[in-house]
Amino acid sequence: MSLETIKVSPGFEKYLPKEYQDLVDDGPFVKQRKVSEMGSFKEAIEEHPMCAGCAMTLFIRLTYVALPSLENSVIVGTAGCGRLAISQGAVPFIYGNYGDTNAVASGLKRGLDIRFPNQEKDVVVMAGDGGLADIGFHAVMHSWFRNEKFTTIMLDNEVYGNTGGQESGMTQKGTVMKMAPLGKKGEKMDMIALAKTSGVAYIARVAPTNPTRVANTIRKAVLIAREVGPTYIQAYTSCNIEYAIPTPLVMDDAREVEADRYGFTEYFTDEAKSYWDNTGRKIKGTVKK
Amino acid sequence: MYSVADIDVDICGATKCRLCTQFCPESNTILYDSVRGTAYVAVDRCKGCEICVGICDDLAKHEAIKMLPIDKVVDGFEICKVGFKESLVEAK
Ligand SMILES: Cc1ncc(C[n+]2csc(CCOP(=O)(O)OP(=O)(O)O)c2C)c(N)n1
Ligand code: SF4
Ligand code: SF4
Ligand code: SF4
Repeated sequence: MSLETIKVSPGFEKYLPKEYQDLVDDGPFVKQRKVSEMGSFKEAIEEHPMCAGCAMTLFIRLTYVALPSLENSVIVGTAGCGRLAISQGAVPFIYGNYGDTNAVASGLKRGLDIRFPNQEKDVVVMAGDGGLADIGFHAVMHSWFRNEKFTTIMLDNEVYGNTGGQESGMTQKGTVMKMAPLGKKGEKMDMIALAKTSGVAYIARVAPTNPTRVANTIRKAVLIAREVGPTYIQAYTSCNIEYAIPTPLVMDDAREVEADRYGFTEYFTDEAKSYWDNTGRKIKGTVKK
Repeated sequence: MYSVADIDVDICGATKCRLCTQFCPESNTILYDSVRGTAYVAVDRCKGCEICVGICDDLAKHEAIKMLPIDKVVDGFEICKVGFKESLVEAK
Protein backbone atom coordinates (compact mmCIF):
# COMPACT_ATOMS: atom_id res chain seq x y z
CA MET A 1 0.00 0.00 0.00
CA SER A 2 1.35 3.40 -0.96
CA LEU A 3 3.27 5.26 1.74
CA GLU A 4 1.17 8.29 0.77
CA THR A 5 -2.08 6.43 1.45
CA ILE A 6 -1.09 4.94 4.78
CA LYS A 7 1.11 7.26 6.84
CA VAL A 8 2.50 6.51 10.27
CA SER A 9 1.74 9.21 12.82
CA PRO A 10 4.94 11.12 13.58
CA GLY A 11 6.66 9.75 16.67
CA PHE A 12 5.19 6.26 16.30
CA GLU A 13 7.58 4.94 13.66
CA LYS A 14 9.77 3.22 16.22
CA TYR A 15 6.86 1.12 17.50
CA LEU A 16 6.27 -0.51 14.13
CA PRO A 17 7.71 -3.99 13.48
CA LYS A 18 11.43 -4.08 12.78
CA GLU A 19 10.74 -5.55 9.35
CA TYR A 20 8.57 -2.57 8.39
CA GLN A 21 11.17 -0.09 9.55
CA ASP A 22 13.95 -1.86 7.65
CA LEU A 23 11.89 -1.94 4.45
CA VAL A 24 10.76 1.67 4.64
CA ASP A 25 13.83 3.39 6.10
CA ASP A 26 16.47 1.98 3.86
CA GLY A 27 14.90 -0.81 1.85
CA PRO A 28 13.25 -1.20 -1.54
CA PHE A 29 10.23 0.89 -0.52
CA VAL A 30 12.07 4.19 -0.65
CA LYS A 31 14.05 3.75 -3.81
CA GLN A 32 14.63 1.30 -6.59
CA ARG A 33 17.43 -1.01 -5.55
CA LYS A 34 19.85 -2.58 -7.97
CA VAL A 35 20.74 -6.23 -8.29
CA SER A 36 24.34 -5.23 -7.56
CA GLU A 37 23.20 -3.96 -4.14
CA MET A 38 21.56 -7.22 -3.11
CA GLY A 39 22.71 -8.27 0.34
CA SER A 40 22.99 -4.63 1.44
CA PHE A 41 19.30 -3.84 1.82
CA LYS A 42 16.38 -5.64 3.39
CA GLU A 43 14.43 -7.53 0.76
CA ALA A 44 10.65 -7.75 0.75
CA ILE A 45 10.29 -11.54 0.97
CA GLU A 46 10.40 -13.23 4.34
CA GLU A 47 10.94 -16.90 5.19
CA HIS A 48 8.83 -19.31 3.16
CA PRO A 49 8.55 -23.05 2.57
CA MET A 50 9.61 -23.37 -1.10
CA CYS A 51 12.16 -26.15 -1.65
CA ALA A 52 15.89 -25.58 -1.18
CA GLY A 53 17.61 -24.49 -4.38
CA CYS A 54 14.42 -23.82 -6.33
CA ALA A 55 15.11 -21.63 -9.36
CA MET A 56 11.57 -20.28 -9.12
CA THR A 57 12.40 -18.90 -5.68
CA LEU A 58 15.38 -17.05 -7.13
CA PHE A 59 13.25 -15.63 -9.93
CA ILE A 60 10.61 -14.40 -7.47
CA ARG A 61 13.33 -12.86 -5.30
CA LEU A 62 14.67 -10.96 -8.32
CA THR A 63 11.15 -9.81 -9.25
CA TYR A 64 10.73 -8.10 -5.88
CA VAL A 65 14.01 -6.26 -6.41
CA ALA A 66 13.05 -5.24 -9.95
CA LEU A 67 9.52 -3.85 -9.49
CA PRO A 68 9.71 -0.12 -10.22
CA SER A 69 7.39 0.88 -7.38
CA LEU A 70 7.09 -1.81 -4.74
CA GLU A 71 4.74 0.23 -2.55
CA ASN A 72 2.27 0.62 -5.42
CA SER A 73 2.38 -2.95 -6.69
CA VAL A 74 -0.17 -5.73 -6.31
CA ILE A 75 0.69 -9.32 -7.20
CA VAL A 76 -2.01 -11.70 -8.40
CA GLY A 77 -1.22 -15.41 -8.20
CA THR A 78 -2.89 -18.71 -7.58
CA ALA A 79 -2.33 -22.28 -6.42
CA GLY A 80 1.13 -23.58 -7.29
CA CYS A 81 4.57 -23.41 -5.72
CA GLY A 82 5.31 -19.73 -6.34
CA ARG A 83 2.57 -18.44 -4.06
CA LEU A 84 4.34 -20.02 -1.09
CA ALA A 85 7.02 -17.32 -1.36
CA ILE A 86 4.89 -14.60 -2.97
CA SER A 87 2.47 -14.73 -0.03
CA GLN A 88 5.40 -13.94 2.30
CA GLY A 89 6.30 -10.74 0.43
CA ALA A 90 5.58 -7.28 1.80
CA VAL A 91 3.40 -6.50 -1.21
CA PRO A 92 -0.36 -7.14 -1.39
CA PHE A 93 -0.96 -10.58 -2.87
CA ILE A 94 -4.31 -11.64 -4.29
CA TYR A 95 -4.72 -15.39 -4.35
CA GLY A 96 -6.95 -15.90 -7.36
CA ASN A 97 -8.80 -19.14 -7.90
CA TYR A 98 -6.83 -21.49 -10.10
CA GLY A 99 -7.87 -20.34 -13.55
CA ASP A 100 -9.03 -16.79 -13.00
CA THR A 101 -5.81 -14.83 -12.31
CA ASN A 102 -5.96 -12.69 -15.43
CA ALA A 103 -9.67 -11.98 -15.05
CA VAL A 104 -9.06 -10.86 -11.45
CA ALA A 105 -6.06 -8.78 -12.51
CA SER A 106 -8.07 -7.08 -15.27
CA GLY A 107 -10.77 -5.92 -12.86
CA LEU A 108 -8.25 -5.02 -10.20
CA LYS A 109 -6.14 -2.84 -12.47
CA ARG A 110 -9.16 -0.98 -13.78
CA GLY A 111 -10.58 -0.58 -10.28
CA LEU A 112 -7.30 0.71 -8.85
CA ASP A 113 -7.03 3.30 -11.63
CA ILE A 114 -10.47 4.62 -10.68
CA ARG A 115 -9.88 4.48 -6.92
CA PHE A 116 -6.37 6.01 -7.00
CA PRO A 117 -6.32 8.39 -9.96
CA ASN A 118 -3.18 10.10 -8.68
CA GLN A 119 -1.14 6.95 -8.10
CA GLU A 120 0.18 4.52 -10.68
CA LYS A 121 -0.69 1.03 -9.50
CA ASP A 122 1.20 -1.87 -11.04
CA VAL A 123 -0.66 -5.16 -11.22
CA VAL A 124 1.52 -8.19 -11.91
CA VAL A 125 0.23 -11.73 -12.38
CA MET A 126 2.80 -14.30 -11.33
CA ALA A 127 1.79 -17.95 -11.57
CA GLY A 128 2.89 -21.33 -12.86
CA ASP A 129 2.71 -22.80 -16.32
CA GLY A 130 -0.23 -24.96 -15.23
CA GLY A 131 -1.95 -21.88 -13.80
CA LEU A 132 -1.52 -19.76 -16.93
CA ALA A 133 -1.22 -22.07 -19.95
CA ASP A 134 -3.68 -24.76 -18.86
CA ILE A 135 -6.38 -23.94 -16.35
CA GLY A 136 -6.04 -20.14 -16.64
CA PHE A 137 -5.52 -20.13 -20.39
CA HIS A 138 -8.82 -18.58 -21.43
CA ALA A 139 -8.50 -15.70 -18.97
CA VAL A 140 -4.89 -15.06 -20.03
CA MET A 141 -5.83 -14.93 -23.71
CA HIS A 142 -8.82 -12.68 -23.19
CA SER A 143 -6.87 -10.25 -21.02
CA TRP A 144 -4.45 -9.96 -23.93
CA PHE A 145 -7.19 -9.57 -26.55
CA ARG A 146 -8.77 -6.85 -24.41
CA ASN A 147 -5.42 -5.08 -24.16
CA GLU A 148 -5.47 -5.00 -20.35
CA LYS A 149 -2.60 -2.98 -18.94
CA PHE A 150 -0.77 -5.34 -16.63
CA THR A 151 2.14 -7.77 -16.71
CA THR A 152 1.78 -11.55 -16.77
CA ILE A 153 4.79 -13.56 -15.60
CA MET A 154 4.77 -17.31 -16.19
CA LEU A 155 6.99 -19.23 -13.77
CA ASP A 156 7.60 -22.02 -16.26
CA ASN A 157 8.95 -25.08 -14.48
CA GLU A 158 7.40 -27.25 -17.20
CA VAL A 159 5.40 -29.31 -14.70
CA TYR A 160 2.72 -29.13 -12.01
CA GLY A 161 5.29 -28.99 -9.22
CA ASN A 162 2.98 -28.29 -6.31
CA THR A 163 0.81 -31.36 -6.86
CA GLY A 164 3.55 -33.88 -7.47
CA GLY A 165 4.51 -33.99 -11.14
CA GLN A 166 1.70 -33.95 -13.69
CA GLU A 167 2.52 -32.79 -17.21
CA SER A 168 1.37 -29.31 -18.23
CA GLY A 169 0.87 -27.79 -21.67
CA MET A 170 4.35 -26.32 -21.24
CA THR A 171 6.06 -29.67 -20.59
CA GLN A 172 8.32 -30.79 -23.41
CA LYS A 173 7.11 -33.60 -25.66
CA GLY A 174 8.24 -37.03 -24.50
CA THR A 175 9.03 -36.02 -20.90
CA VAL A 176 8.31 -38.81 -18.43
CA MET A 177 6.96 -37.52 -15.14
CA LYS A 178 5.80 -39.24 -11.97
CA MET A 179 2.22 -38.78 -13.07
CA ALA A 180 2.87 -38.96 -16.82
CA PRO A 181 4.58 -42.35 -16.87
CA LEU A 182 4.22 -42.93 -20.61
CA GLY A 183 5.76 -39.57 -21.50
CA LYS A 184 3.98 -36.46 -22.68
CA LYS A 185 2.32 -36.91 -26.05
CA GLY A 186 1.91 -33.33 -27.32
CA GLU A 187 4.39 -30.54 -28.03
CA LYS A 188 5.22 -27.73 -25.57
CA MET A 189 2.74 -24.92 -26.14
CA ASP A 190 4.17 -21.88 -27.91
CA MET A 191 2.84 -19.19 -25.60
CA ILE A 192 5.27 -16.63 -27.03
CA ALA A 193 3.68 -17.00 -30.48
CA LEU A 194 0.20 -16.86 -28.95
CA ALA A 195 1.15 -13.65 -27.13
CA LYS A 196 2.34 -12.10 -30.39
CA THR A 197 -0.88 -13.09 -32.17
CA SER A 198 -2.94 -11.57 -29.36
CA GLY A 199 -1.18 -8.20 -29.65
CA VAL A 200 0.84 -8.28 -26.43
CA ALA A 201 2.98 -5.12 -26.35
CA TYR A 202 6.17 -6.59 -24.90
CA ILE A 203 7.13 -10.26 -24.66
CA ALA A 204 10.28 -11.75 -23.19
CA ARG A 205 11.62 -15.23 -22.61
CA VAL A 206 14.32 -15.49 -19.98
CA ALA A 207 16.16 -17.92 -17.70
CA PRO A 208 17.57 -16.88 -14.32
CA THR A 209 21.21 -17.13 -15.36
CA ASN A 210 21.83 -13.38 -15.39
CA PRO A 211 20.14 -11.61 -12.45
CA THR A 212 20.62 -8.10 -13.83
CA ARG A 213 19.01 -9.07 -17.12
CA VAL A 214 16.08 -10.66 -15.30
CA ALA A 215 15.56 -7.48 -13.28
CA ASN A 216 15.81 -5.21 -16.33
CA THR A 217 13.30 -7.36 -18.20
CA ILE A 218 10.76 -7.24 -15.37
CA ARG A 219 11.11 -3.48 -14.95
CA LYS A 220 10.70 -2.98 -18.69
CA ALA A 221 7.59 -5.17 -18.79
CA VAL A 222 5.95 -3.35 -15.89
CA LEU A 223 6.68 0.14 -17.26
CA ILE A 224 5.46 -0.77 -20.76
CA ALA A 225 2.27 -2.29 -19.30
CA ARG A 226 1.52 1.02 -17.56
CA GLU A 227 1.65 3.03 -20.74
CA VAL A 228 1.06 0.76 -23.71
CA GLY A 229 -0.68 -2.55 -23.04
CA PRO A 230 -0.30 -6.12 -21.81
CA THR A 231 3.18 -7.56 -21.33
CA TYR A 232 4.27 -11.17 -20.90
CA ILE A 233 7.40 -12.72 -19.43
CA GLN A 234 8.00 -16.43 -19.69
CA ALA A 235 10.70 -17.54 -17.27
CA TYR A 236 12.41 -20.91 -17.14
CA THR A 237 12.37 -21.74 -13.44
CA SER A 238 13.26 -25.43 -13.12
CA CYS A 239 11.62 -27.69 -10.57
CA ASN A 240 14.57 -29.55 -9.07
CA ILE A 241 12.25 -31.98 -7.27
CA GLU A 242 10.17 -33.22 -10.22
CA TYR A 243 13.08 -33.09 -12.69
CA ALA A 244 15.48 -34.67 -10.16
CA ILE A 245 18.13 -31.98 -10.51
CA PRO A 246 20.59 -32.08 -7.58
CA THR A 247 20.40 -28.60 -6.04
CA PRO A 248 24.10 -27.74 -6.54
CA LEU A 249 23.47 -28.21 -10.29
CA VAL A 250 20.35 -26.06 -10.61
CA MET A 251 22.23 -23.15 -12.19
CA ASP A 252 24.16 -25.49 -14.51
CA ASP A 253 20.81 -26.85 -15.69
CA ALA A 254 19.51 -23.29 -16.23
CA ARG A 255 22.56 -22.44 -18.35
CA GLU A 256 22.25 -25.64 -20.38
CA VAL A 257 18.53 -25.24 -21.04
CA GLU A 258 19.07 -21.58 -21.89
CA ALA A 259 21.77 -22.46 -24.42
CA ASP A 260 19.73 -25.31 -25.86
CA ARG A 261 16.18 -23.97 -26.20
CA TYR A 262 15.39 -21.15 -23.76
CA GLY A 263 17.66 -18.33 -24.94
CA PHE A 264 16.82 -14.76 -24.01
CA THR A 265 14.48 -13.23 -26.57
CA GLU A 266 12.34 -10.14 -26.46
CA TYR A 267 9.71 -8.73 -28.78
CA PHE A 268 8.06 -5.28 -28.89
CA THR A 269 5.11 -4.00 -30.86
CA ASP A 270 5.96 -0.80 -32.74
CA GLU A 271 4.12 1.27 -30.16
CA ALA A 272 5.91 -0.41 -27.25
CA LYS A 273 9.28 0.00 -28.96
CA SER A 274 8.70 3.66 -29.60
CA TYR A 275 7.57 4.23 -25.99
CA TRP A 276 10.56 2.35 -24.62
CA ASP A 277 13.19 4.02 -26.79
CA ASN A 278 11.83 7.54 -26.38
CA THR A 279 10.64 7.51 -22.77
CA GLY A 280 10.77 4.28 -20.77
CA ARG A 281 14.46 3.50 -20.92
CA LYS A 282 15.36 7.03 -19.77
CA ILE A 283 13.36 6.71 -16.56
CA LYS A 284 15.61 6.12 -13.57
CA GLY A 285 14.88 4.79 -10.10
CA THR A 286 11.48 4.34 -8.48
CA VAL A 287 8.65 5.59 -10.69
CA LYS A 288 5.45 6.24 -8.85
CA LYS A 289 3.65 8.19 -11.55
CA MET B 1 21.91 -33.10 10.56
CA TYR B 2 21.98 -30.58 7.75
CA SER B 3 24.68 -28.32 6.35
CA VAL B 4 24.74 -24.60 5.71
CA ALA B 5 26.98 -22.38 3.62
CA ASP B 6 29.97 -20.91 5.40
CA ILE B 7 31.90 -18.05 3.79
CA ASP B 8 35.61 -17.60 4.47
CA VAL B 9 35.55 -13.87 5.12
CA ASP B 10 39.30 -13.52 4.58
CA ILE B 11 39.13 -14.92 1.05
CA CYS B 12 35.87 -13.14 0.20
CA GLY B 13 36.93 -9.86 1.82
CA ALA B 14 39.88 -9.61 -0.55
CA THR B 15 37.68 -9.75 -3.67
CA LYS B 16 34.90 -7.08 -3.74
CA CYS B 17 32.90 -9.68 -5.62
CA ARG B 18 29.27 -9.97 -4.30
CA LEU B 19 28.24 -12.50 -6.96
CA CYS B 20 26.70 -15.12 -4.65
CA THR B 21 24.40 -12.48 -3.11
CA GLN B 22 22.60 -12.33 -6.47
CA PHE B 23 22.16 -16.07 -6.96
CA CYS B 24 21.07 -17.41 -3.59
CA PRO B 25 17.40 -18.28 -4.09
CA GLU B 26 16.53 -17.14 -0.56
CA SER B 27 15.97 -13.47 0.29
CA ASN B 28 17.87 -11.86 3.18
CA THR B 29 20.18 -14.89 3.48
CA ILE B 30 23.56 -14.00 1.98
CA LEU B 31 24.17 -10.52 3.33
CA TYR B 32 26.99 -8.15 2.51
CA ASP B 33 29.08 -6.31 5.05
CA SER B 34 30.33 -3.26 3.20
CA VAL B 35 32.84 -2.35 5.94
CA ARG B 36 34.76 -5.62 5.83
CA GLY B 37 33.84 -6.01 2.14
CA THR B 38 32.63 -9.55 2.60
CA ALA B 39 29.52 -11.59 2.08
CA TYR B 40 28.27 -13.65 5.05
CA VAL B 41 25.43 -16.08 5.63
CA ALA B 42 22.43 -15.90 7.95
CA VAL B 43 22.58 -19.53 9.06
CA ASP B 44 18.95 -19.56 10.17
CA ARG B 45 17.82 -18.73 6.62
CA CYS B 46 20.21 -20.91 4.61
CA LYS B 47 18.48 -24.00 3.16
CA GLY B 48 21.74 -25.73 2.25
CA CYS B 49 21.20 -25.93 -1.52
CA GLU B 50 24.88 -25.26 -2.39
CA ILE B 51 24.05 -23.02 -5.35
CA CYS B 52 26.31 -20.34 -3.86
CA VAL B 53 29.22 -22.79 -3.72
CA GLY B 54 28.99 -23.37 -7.48
CA ILE B 55 28.71 -19.63 -8.12
CA CYS B 56 31.78 -18.85 -6.02
CA ASP B 57 33.89 -21.75 -7.38
CA ASP B 58 32.91 -21.73 -11.06
CA LEU B 59 31.75 -18.17 -11.89
CA ALA B 60 33.62 -15.99 -9.39
CA LYS B 61 36.55 -18.46 -9.18
CA HIS B 62 37.27 -17.62 -5.55
CA GLU B 63 36.41 -20.86 -3.71
CA ALA B 64 35.43 -18.97 -0.58
CA ILE B 65 32.30 -20.97 0.35
CA LYS B 66 32.21 -24.39 1.99
CA MET B 67 29.24 -26.34 3.33
CA LEU B 68 29.46 -26.97 7.06
CA PRO B 69 27.29 -29.21 9.26
CA ILE B 70 25.17 -26.84 11.33
CA ASP B 71 26.66 -28.10 14.62
CA LYS B 72 30.17 -27.23 13.43
CA VAL B 73 29.31 -23.60 12.72
CA VAL B 74 30.97 -21.34 15.28
CA ASP B 75 29.12 -18.12 16.15
CA GLY B 76 26.81 -18.48 13.15
CA PHE B 77 24.93 -15.31 12.41
CA GLU B 78 21.15 -15.59 12.94
CA ILE B 79 19.12 -12.81 11.37
CA CYS B 80 15.95 -13.64 13.33
CA LYS B 81 17.66 -12.56 16.54
CA VAL B 82 18.63 -9.07 15.43
CA GLY B 83 16.71 -8.09 12.32
CA PHE B 84 18.19 -6.76 9.14
CA LYS B 85 19.58 -3.33 9.88
CA GLU B 86 21.13 -4.33 13.16
CA SER B 87 22.61 -7.36 11.44
CA LEU B 88 24.84 -5.17 9.32
CA VAL B 89 26.04 -3.38 12.43
CA GLU B 90 26.41 -6.60 14.44
CA ALA B 91 28.58 -8.29 11.85
CA LYS B 92 31.14 -5.53 11.73
C1 LIG C 1 -9.44 -25.39 -9.83
C2 LIG C 1 -8.31 -26.12 -9.22
N1 LIG C 1 -7.90 -27.29 -9.75
C3 LIG C 1 -6.84 -27.94 -9.22
C4 LIG C 1 -6.18 -27.43 -8.15
C5 LIG C 1 -5.01 -28.19 -7.55
N2 LIG C 1 -3.72 -27.63 -7.83
C6 LIG C 1 -3.06 -26.87 -6.93
S1 LIG C 1 -1.53 -26.41 -7.42
C7 LIG C 1 -1.73 -27.23 -8.90
C8 LIG C 1 -0.63 -27.31 -9.91
C9 LIG C 1 0.16 -26.11 -10.07
O1 LIG C 1 0.99 -26.23 -11.20
P1 LIG C 1 1.60 -24.95 -11.86
O2 LIG C 1 0.55 -23.92 -12.06
O3 LIG C 1 2.40 -25.36 -13.04
O4 LIG C 1 2.55 -24.37 -10.72
P2 LIG C 1 3.81 -25.05 -10.00
O5 LIG C 1 3.31 -25.69 -8.75
O6 LIG C 1 4.45 -26.00 -10.94
O7 LIG C 1 4.68 -23.88 -9.71
C10 LIG C 1 -2.99 -27.85 -8.96
C11 LIG C 1 -3.45 -28.68 -10.08
C12 LIG C 1 -6.62 -26.21 -7.61
N3 LIG C 1 -6.01 -25.62 -6.57
N4 LIG C 1 -7.68 -25.58 -8.16
S1 SF4 D 1 8.28 -28.62 -5.99
FE1 SF4 D 1 9.67 -27.86 -7.59
S2 SF4 D 1 8.88 -25.83 -8.23
FE2 SF4 D 1 7.92 -26.39 -6.27
S3 SF4 D 1 9.19 -25.38 -4.70
FE3 SF4 D 1 9.95 -27.50 -4.96
S4 SF4 D 1 11.57 -27.36 -6.50
FE4 SF4 D 1 10.39 -25.46 -6.62
S1 SF4 E 1 30.91 -15.50 -4.72
FE1 SF4 E 1 32.56 -15.98 -3.24
S2 SF4 E 1 34.04 -14.31 -3.37
FE2 SF4 E 1 32.10 -13.64 -4.36
S3 SF4 E 1 30.97 -12.59 -2.71
FE3 SF4 E 1 30.31 -14.71 -2.70
S4 SF4 E 1 31.67 -15.70 -1.22
FE4 SF4 E 1 32.60 -13.78 -1.75
S1 SF4 F 1 23.42 -22.88 0.38
FE1 SF4 F 1 21.71 -22.11 -0.87
S2 SF4 F 1 20.33 -21.14 0.63
FE2 SF4 F 1 22.34 -21.39 1.63
S3 SF4 F 1 23.39 -19.46 1.28
FE3 SF4 F 1 24.03 -20.86 -0.35
S4 SF4 F 1 22.61 -20.41 -2.05
FE4 SF4 F 1 21.71 -19.55 -0.19
